[in-house]
Amino acid sequence: MVESNRSGEVEVLGVTKRFGETVAIKDLSLTIPHGSYCCLLGPSGCGKTTILRMIAGHENPTVGDIRIGGESVVGLPQVRRGTAMMFQSYALFPHRSVLDNVAFALKMRGAGLAERHAKARELLTKVQLENFADRLPAQLSGGQQQRVALARALITNPRVLLLDEPLSALDEYLRLRMRGELRRVQKELGITFIHVTHTQLEAIAVADTVVVMAHGHIEQAASARDIFIAPRNAYVARFVGGQNVLSGTVESAMNGTAAVAAENGARFAFPVGDIRPLRGSKLWGSIRRDRIALEKVPPGSKPAGGLNTIAGEVHTIENQGSYVKVTLELGHNEEFVANLLDETFFANPLDIGDRVVARWSASDIKLLDDGPMAHEPAPAQTAVANAG
Amino acid sequence: MYSADGSRPWTFYAFAAFFTLFVLFLYGPMTVIYILSFQGPQGGMTFPMNGISLHWFDALFSQTRVGDIAGSFQRSIGLAVAVALITVVLSVIAGLGFRRPFRGSAVAFYLAIASLIMPGLFVGLGIALTFRLLGLGTNWFTSGLGAQLTWTLPFGLLIMFAVLGRFNRSYEEAATDLGATSWQRLREVTLPMLLPGIIGVALFGFTLSYDEIARTALTAGSANTLPLEIWAMTTNVTSPALYAVGAVTTVVSFVVIIVALTSIAVVQRRRAAGARRATLISTE
Repeated sequence: MVESNRSGEVEVLGVTKRFGETVAIKDLSLTIPHGSYCCLLGPSGCGKTTILRMIAGHENPTVGDIRIGGESVVGLPQVRRGTAMMFQSYALFPHRSVLDNVAFALKMRGAGLAERHAKARELLTKVQLENFADRLPAQLSGGQQQRVALARALITNPRVLLLDEPLSALDEYLRLRMRGELRRVQKELGITFIHVTHTQLEAIAVADTVVVMAHGHIEQAASARDIFIAPRNAYVARFVGGQNVLSGTVESAMNGTAAVAAENGARFAFPVGDIRPLRGSKLWGSIRRDRIALEKVPPGSKPAGGLNTIAGEVHTIENQGSYVKVTLELGHNEEFVANLLDETFFANPLDIGDRVVARWSASDIKLLDDGPMAHEPAPAQTAVANAG
Repeated sequence: MYSADGSRPWTFYAFAAFFTLFVLFLYGPMTVIYILSFQGPQGGMTFPMNGISLHWFDALFSQTRVGDIAGSFQRSIGLAVAVALITVVLSVIAGLGFRRPFRGSAVAFYLAIASLIMPGLFVGLGIALTFRLLGLGTNWFTSGLGAQLTWTLPFGLLIMFAVLGRFNRSYEEAATDLGATSWQRLREVTLPMLLPGIIGVALFGFTLSYDEIARTALTAGSANTLPLEIWAMTTNVTSPALYAVGAVTTVVSFVVIIVALTSIAVVQRRRAAGARRATLISTE
């Protein structure tokens, strides 16, 4: 029953999952190191929950293998996997008290009443709910229910905890609080957490490793920091946010810099390193939203063009407290976002409809692997580095 | 739906008038029957009341005079309990089974449900003929029971579909995840959570059986169930004893419904038991 000393390394090896005609997962491989916090991030229908359910044993892969601690678990019952799952809506048994909910797994294993209640009380104390033991789940708030679900899942000392959208049922305030709490619990227990979410900032906030998924495959698996500052392709850059995606045709390339012309006439310099792109080929790059400077164009005058600039009209302005998010309309429904420090913005405030020029430094541009067509399969083999 | 000046639209009054007629039509004649069942010993089948007495209730149990009310009542209760039990067991099993589509599940479903639209009298006739052909003879607890089940099982199945349609499977997955075997899961999670719906199926099975005539008439054999006995009485009993039967059977129906509703309430209260009534003081 006590399995926490066994390795909680989770390997998904060449897994394909079909539901009838639908392919939910396409030849996906992923290694999640023991004791790490991994977030599977993607829009609904991308297959992230299916992976979680296959690790938990609620689904079986059509092709491929799943290993925990080096042993294949395909076909094994949940109990022998050493996993525990926290369900999206918690699935607390409404007809049982909080104490009996937490003690449920021990009851199923034949533990006596005194023993299981003692252990359950111990766990309830850990989540600060010892005074709620006799309540029914319906008599608890959302945040309290979430903690009961956590205690119930942890009572068997799992080596891997699987969390299916654990924060989606909470309001904004609690969601922010509980995600920090989840991370703290994971550090304290030192077991593997695999957390499914569709919220970018949630994944980046809690995880060691973020796995960005689309259409049943992995777009990028990297440390939370890398996912944010160095997205591999346009899909990740757009989905994770925090980046603008630029593209254009190569005009010339020399000394590790390519001159790129965008369709709307703007010209950019892309740092390309050792790559020598062909003239006429298409390049994609990303630039962080917080590395952009905006300059107002006086009415009537022509925007000063030049390398690494883009002209547009202010579409929306959202004050985020420490920064101000300014969305520009570039024409053709293209958007470009600049996050300006609050001091910078309020020193020269802009208004909706203002014409502006956005500028950045060429060295801040990161080259992207492929185009925006995320539907094209990215390489499936992705080994996750132990993030730090 | 109030207009600006607070008055109700004409549709409100039209529907209220219709509802009043409905209530009068349903409860008026019934009330007349209950009142007339207390007719004095010399009174007749219509008003005026000739004194007030329990004479006709007493007469129910003298078999020679009005027929075998006590015996048919016992048979009907026994049959209704058996039908309710069998309906519950089979509907729950079938309902759970239909959750996972299998080859031919749609056909099986429609075959089961089709018996709701078949004319009951002919279903009964067919069953009676079959039993006679097989040399079994018709009897209320064999052919009668079977004929009633063709009526209650599809209803039970439909109710279970509705109940299970609202039942989130993640509760069962959570139980499995926490190490429950399929039996433990059924006993500890699925059945307790479905219990109010299951009581509903039992109640439905009981009441459908208790006043069933069409399918029972030709399959009950020589001993009548209560509705058949009453049906026979309407043609040859010409005393207020007939009304007394009506009053007694209504009371029984109400008792059954009250028992069922009470048990649902008890289930729900037991769930709340132990859970403190104190108003929730959220710590967050």
